Amino acid sequence: MTVIDLWIAMPLLILAGSALAILLLGAMVPGNHWTWAGVVATAMAAAWAIQAPPATIAPSLALAATPVARLFAILFSLTAGAVLIISHRYNEKRGITGEEYQATILFCAFGATTLSMSTTLLIMFLGLEAMTFGFYILVAMELKREVSAEAGLKYLLMGAVAAAFLAFGIGLHYAGTGSLSLAQALQAAAGNRIALAGWGFILIGIAFKLSLVPAHLWTPDIYQGAPAPVTALLSALSKGATVAMLLLILPSGGSDTIRHLLWWPALLSMVVGNLAALLQTKVRRMLGYSSIAQMGYVALALVSGTTGGYRAAAYYSVAYAIMSLAAFGAITLIERDGAGDSLEEWQGLGRRNPFPAGILALALFALAGIPPTAGFTGKFLIFTAAIKAGEIPLAIIGIITAAISVYYYLAVVVSLYMHEPGDREEVFPALPESAVLIATGAAILVIGAFPAPLLRLLAAALP
Amino acid sequence: MSDMIITLMTFSPLVGVLLLFFIPKDSHALLRGVAIATTVVTFLLSLPIMFGFVTNAEFQFKEFYPWIAAGPFQMNYNVGIDGISLWLVILTTFTMPIAVLSTWTAVETKVKEYMIFLLLLEVGMLGAFVALDMFLFYIFWELMLIPMYFIIGIWGGKNRVYATLKFFIYTMAGSLLMLIAIIVLYFKAGAGDFNLLRFYGLNLPLATQIWMFLAFAFAFAIKVPMFPFHTWLPDAHTEAPTAGSVILAAILLKMGTYGYVRFAMPLFPEASEKFTPLIATLAVIGIIYASLVAMVQEDVKKLVAYSSVAHLGFVMLGVFALNQQGVAGGMLQMLNHGISTGALFLIVGFIYERRHTRLITDFGGLSKQMPVFATIFMIVTFSSIGLPGTNGFVGEFLVLIGSFESKLRWYTVVASSGVILSAVYMLWVFQRVMFGELNNPKNKELKDLNAREVAIMVPLLVMIFVMGLYPKPFIDRMAPSIDKMIQITKVKPQVALQAPALPVMPAGMPMGQPAVEGMPAGHPAMPVNK
Repeated sequence: MTVIDLWIAMPLLILAGSALAILLLGAMVPGNHWTWAGVVATAMAAAWAIQAPPATIAPSLALAATPVARLFAILFSLTAGAVLIISHRYNEKRGITGEEYQATILFCAFGATTLSMSTTLLIMFLGLEAMTFGFYILVAMELKREVSAEAGLKYLLMGAVAAAFLAFGIGLHYAGTGSLSLAQALQAAAGNRIALAGWGFILIGIAFKLSLVPAHLWTPDIYQGAPAPVTALLSALSKGATVAMLLLILPSGGSDTIRHLLWWPALLSMVVGNLAALLQTKVRRMLGYSSIAQMGYVALALVSGTTGGYRAAAYYSVAYAIMSLAAFGAITLIERDGAGDSLEEWQGLGRRNPFPAGILALALFALAGIPPTAGFTGKFLIFTAAIKAGEIPLAIIGIITAAISVYYYLAVVVSLYMHEPGDREEVFPALPESAVLIATGAAILVIGAFPAPLLRLLAAALP
Repeated sequence: MSDMIITLMTFSPLVGVLLLFFIPKDSHALLRGVAIATTVVTFLLSLPIMFGFVTNAEFQFKEFYPWIAAGPFQMNYNVGIDGISLWLVILTTFTMPIAVLSTWTAVETKVKEYMIFLLLLEVGMLGAFVALDMFLFYIFWELMLIPMYFIIGIWGGKNRVYATLKFFIYTMAGSLLMLIAIIVLYFKAGAGDFNLLRFYGLNLPLATQIWMFLAFAFAFAIKVPMFPFHTWLPDAHTEAPTAGSVILAAILLKMGTYGYVRFAMPLFPEASEKFTPLIATLAVIGIIYASLVAMVQEDVKKLVAYSSVAHLGFVMLGVFALNQQGVAGGMLQMLNHGISTGALFLIVGFIYERRHTRLITDFGGLSKQMPVFATIFMIVTFSSIGLPGTNGFVGEFLVLIGSFESKLRWYTVVASSGVILSAVYMLWVFQRVMFGELNNPKNKELKDLNAREVAIMVPLLVMIFVMGLYPKPFIDRMAPSIDKMIQITKVKPQVALQAPALPVMPAGMPMGQPAVEGMPAGHPAMPVNK
């Protein structure tokens, strides 16, 4: 292992090392204070990823610290840190004890970062499964709630099937082309029937991770059943990592066949996700369907291809990570102070939890795509890319469904603010939680109204 | 300083918002004081624009800063004011202090949030009027939605949730289509930014123009609102608190008509010519239908809301007449409607605050109990029905002359019956509320307007007479910009066929109007003034 290898792998080492250390030391000094150790570790990993490495590729490790990879490494580390902070008091209240929670979250971040830095299909698969493995545990973590266990089992079964598809697809690709390298994967597969069949399987696995229709059915159950902070992580990390993975594969060229396979999933996800969300009466379930729809928009950007489309997808996955962190972070605080899961029980909570409710409203407006938020800028980029690439029917359907989606996002805001609450005492969150929510809220507005720096970064990274 | 005046004015309410954040939410008096002070400062900041405006067709006080430049996009912070937007900006800054003052006592809960939303709304409205970059315009356009959504939804009446959702979804659906059209326009224009002036010069093929005109026209028609897209308006108005109704009527609806004058028509001249008969038909249906519906309303506020639909039908008719008088009349009618309908909603608010009912049958004979109120109500009623000497007359008259001289002559004939209908429903409601026996015992306790309420109404009454008796300064400032707008909207079809840059059109043009030909820029629009 050379110095450059070490340099490039350093964020991974920090995340994985601290996960192991917390697991080992936690056995000796148990307690919830490991949260803060975890936060420090994620901050260090993010800080390391900010600096440009002396060389981008570490061939012996099959890792690369490209600008996109580093961007996602920073995003994933900070997301994990933020989730650790907002889960601190939630876990105390809900009886989720033990250092394995913090260790597993760091491990998820490790998996997601590995994925975004991988240069071969094998490492990519390992990263993806490392992350998913962490989620199997986290989703079922809340022992006292039955739905949590049910969600965990469902996620495990479906996830295992998806992993099998992915592994088999990668196997077929290797059998057909004799190479596992990501860089030329699509070119190598072009015209090779075995390899193309393999890509079909890989896409099914990816569709599961992105919860694209028709591989979406697990999403609402998991979103509803998992502990609220875990949902935040799941939504931000696993979706972001999968988009990062597609951005490693698709722009490298090759035939358009594979990209166009996403056409129907994109269409169906936008339509089914948004229409099903309209019918929901439970907040988190509704956001589960909304995430299906949101990933439909990302798929639309990827279908459009061209640099504009890829940049839009990258921008939107960053924006979506921040928006879901804000939304589920706020939901975590609101649920912690006691709230049922149906929309009716949320009436007037804007009075009781003014601050988290305000952030939640902002996040919902952003998800609905209303300017000047990141959600609007992201959708704008996606629709322009789609129109420019000639995917006009898909773009118009996307815009119509986006208009429909406004209704159910607003329904939550209506519940929060527009019904007279019983007299409820205001509850204020702790300082670190407030800081996380303020940061996500500010990020939604700043990258929405001033997207130029991020776009320039993406333009340099995805030429 | 003076080269940043638009930015200062547009974003000054934001300073007020920041101040409000740091005021404890129980000190209502301070919250209201800061809000009113902010709107007054904004109004004062708009005065240099009004007095410094040079009467010509150019955009003035322009500001330009690069904003987003990444990948294929280039958006700029590009703002400026011309004769078309000047008065609408002034109307906004003029109305806001009145709106804030009007809910001094009506809003008692969550005062802080209420004032914050009002000020945010002002930023959105001013921004939309001054934006010259299409992307910037869209941002401001959507930005107006959120505060209004909360104002209706939190402080509104019984059905507020239904009304506010309807308002939001209607407007949002329209504006998303407009967003597609903006994107397409951007790509058609080739490399460059979203500068509106750049798009004026495009000669798009007719088929493209039709689609894009429809997208824009739909978004604006919902906002105006034109028949048959008007159904959100009575709901929103009835449920909104007084200040919400005033702002909605006085300013937000103008966004729609302003959108036609600024965007839909000059951007797609051939398409707008093609759709003129359709839009004129809808405008005339709107005038007659809304007047008839207004006549049978039980609820005063709903009646005023329907009268808005009818008045804006006149505006649309004038604008689509596309000659100097018509467009000037339409623009003037926008201001008049802002003043008189704003005043009507305030009046409804006054009696609602006293009696908590708006049903006409609950009233009667109020003039004996409330003489000052009766006088004010009467003046505003006259202005609303367009009695000579009040502002309503000038606008309506110009619209009717303009459209009669255009090819919309027969539409005008039908539309003018709306003038009579408006007199019927307004005078009838006035009679039923103010005259007759004071037989409802609850009305015997009513107090006349207090000093604050009179102070709110006085500026509006002054404007009613100023604009009614001496509209020349208003029209003069607009005239060059209107000429330019007409020229852009009208000449272009000919450019494709004949030599470019013909300032004066040959006779026998499909829409050629003698009134426009050879009229020098800056010419007073009409000979009516004495």
